[in-house]
Amino acid sequence: MSAQESGRDGVTRRSFLRGGLGAAGGLAAVAAAVSPLRELDTGDLTLERLLQKHYKEMTPEDKERVLERIRNEVQQRFEVRPELRDLPPLPGVEFAYALNLGRCIGCRRCVHACVRENNQSRDPEIQYIRVLELPRGSVDVERSEHHYDHLRVPSPDHYYMPVQCHQCENPPCVKVCPVEATWKEPDGVIVIDYDWCIGCRYCAAACPYFARRFNYAEPSVPKEELNPDMNYLSNRPRRKGVMEKCHFCLQRTRAGRMPACLEVCPVGARNFGNLLDPESQVAQILKTKQIFVLKQDAATLPRFFYYFDQDM
Amino acid sequence: MNSEERSSAAGTGPRARASAWGILVGPAFLGLAAWLHLGNPPAEIPRQEPMRVDTRRLTTEPRRKPSELHDGRPLIFVNSFLRHCSECHNFPLSEVQIRNRQQHGHIVLEHGINDACHNCHDLSNMDQLILRGGRSIPYADVPELCRTCHGPTFQDWQRGIHGRVNGYWDATRGEQHHLRCVECHDPHRPRHPAMDPLVPLPGPNTLRMGDPRWRAGESHEGPEEDPLRRVTVQSREEDR
Ligand code: HEC
Ligand code: HEC
Ligand code: HEC
Ligand code: HEC
Repeated sequence: MSAQESGRDGVTRRSFLRGGLGAAGGLAAVAAAVSPLRELDTGDLTLERLLQKHYKEMTPEDKERVLERIRNEVQQRFEVRPELRDLPPLPGVEFAYALNLGRCIGCRRCVHACVRENNQSRDPEIQYIRVLELPRGSVDVERSEHHYDHLRVPSPDHYYMPVQCHQCENPPCVKVCPVEATWKEPDGVIVIDYDWCIGCRYCAAACPYFARRFNYAEPSVPKEELNPDMNYLSNRPRRKGVMEKCHFCLQRTRAGRMPACLEVCPVGARNFGNLLDPESQVAQILKTKQIFVLKQDAATLPRFFYYFDQDM
Repeated sequence: MNSEERSSAAGTGPRARASAWGILVGPAFLGLAAWLHLGNPPAEIPRQEPMRVDTRRLTTEPRRKPSELHDGRPLIFVNSFLRHCSECHNFPLSEVQIRNRQQHGHIVLEHGINDACHNCHDLSNMDQLILRGGRSIPYADVPELCRTCHGPTFQDWQRGIHGRVNGYWDATRGEQHHLRCVECHDPHRPRHPAMDPLVPLPGPNTLRMGDPRWRAGESHEGPEEDPLRRVTVQSREEDR
């Protein structure tokens, strides 16, 4: 009885050692668990960036301050002063894209023009556009091939289907974002605020088109290849741990220009324009061609249409 | 005997049990710590030589270079001299196709049943093209020529659906440049891809873009679902 009593009140050497061992183990485990923090690269993480407001809540002055900060950051990182702007959506404009599958020869010019234009990471490699190769007559996208490696394209008996972000009217990726870092703009383009993205990658999982790309490592863009024509919501440089994807080249299209992938297409398979203008390329295509969308049953209502020419 | 007494008699009261847990838990934590530290190195990000793509291959220039026009007339190299067509063509030509031409050997007509030079070239003035009605037009208006036989395609081209429009989608903000028919089609053999295939630029091969070793139709098992799969340069080369 008395031994039990003393054990309850005082601390015996034994129990002290036991407790101490447990505590030390626990501490070590906690230290191990947080050890990745030692390698955490705070880089140019400034208080200013931490305290930045959500894009939609920024006043014009806030925006100008943020743009100036990014310009300085880019200048430090790439030794180039960028033409960074924040182009607003154009009134009365909804963008849409149409692609003629009968023309596409799978040369991947669009893929690389896009990488150039939008400052995508070269290493590790990030590409917004995937060109799928399918056997003629098949429409089974799941069994398509995007690593085809022929000496010459098109390879006989195949056709090619470039896939990029479809800018859905009913975007599943936007719905799953827990922090509203991605949203649909009035011109129909789904954008991402790279400063707001927390890198949870829910959106990538939600996208039925596999259109979103994640920066698993610090993206690297050669200084001499940086495109200095930048827009806040589109092609400004990203950092590790954020999502990115095709945004119809907002830095170009909101200034009235054609997207980069279109201008480089050697066969003219790509068409772009304002859906609300009945004279525009895409409106004409919707009117005169048999169009279809990818994975229609996903009910995402894409703004990216495919068609075959009737007389093909 | 109540239960308290029974357990203390056996030396396994709550106290004793707690200290037994202590003995177990301490090493368990230590083991966990060691495992976290040593057994689980941070995931390695697959890296690869960056793809260097020659900018010249990303040109927005048209794919074909039509013959050069001077004052609206073509100027071609003949025996290393630059000549206008009319400099030679002051002799009459019949509409009968010449069998073994001495000149223009490189011109091979593969344009379906459109198999006569005079369907397009004005035999009485080689510096011009000719429409079906007999009206002559300058070379610069070549879409008008194609229009006479390809009405629907020409309409599509006018609306910007066929061919390509570079520059501005919004005509109020800048210039729209419609590529002309002969900037993509050789008028003599207009069929496009089969005649002039292109070398494809490199495809995707790291990280989010999937494993090049996986080919459609082959095994769907294996690591290809995992975006953090380690793809190395070697594996790509073995694949070749
Ligand atoms: C479908 C209409 C068409 C037919 C048929 C046609 N041409 Fe042409 N030809 C053109 C056009 C248009 C051009 C100028 C465009 C270009 O080549 O850039 C041209 C250019 C040329 C040129 C100068 C360019 C060069 O490559 O040397 C020659 C020579 C020529 N044609 C010869 C002929 C001969 C010979 C025939 C008949 C065997 C013929 N063409 C049939 C439309 C035609
Ligand atoms: C160096 C002189 C020379 C020049 C320059 C020249 N031609 Fe000819 N061309 C000839 C001769 C010679 C013939 C007769 C065919 C033959 O025997 O080779 C001919 C024949 C043709 C024919 C008829 C071929 C047939 O099978 O009926 C066409 C069409 C023609 N030329 C188009 C052109 C056009 C278009 C140009 C300018 C782009 C041009 N030529 C420039 C020398 C020339
Ligand atoms: C005199 C009438 C005529 C003119 C002018 C003409 N074509 Fe054609 N073209 C044809 C015919 C007929 C065919 C159908 C060939 C076939 O299907 O066998 C054709 C076929 C074609 C094809 C499809 C080729 C294929 O094999 O799929 C293209 C492309 C083409 N033409 C382009 C042009 C261009 C560009 C011009 C203007 C430089 C032009 N054509 C002018 C009559 C014409
Ligand atoms: C940007 C390049 C480009 C331009 C410019 C262009 N085409 Fe084509 N055209 C193509 C391609 C690619 C095809 C499909 C190739 C094939 O199947 O032979 C094609 C196919 C055709 C065909 C075959 C029928 C069809 O629709 O598939 C005709 C006819 C034709 N083009 C006529 C024209 C005419 C006429 C013009 C000028 C008014 C023109 N093209 C301008 C790229 C072009």
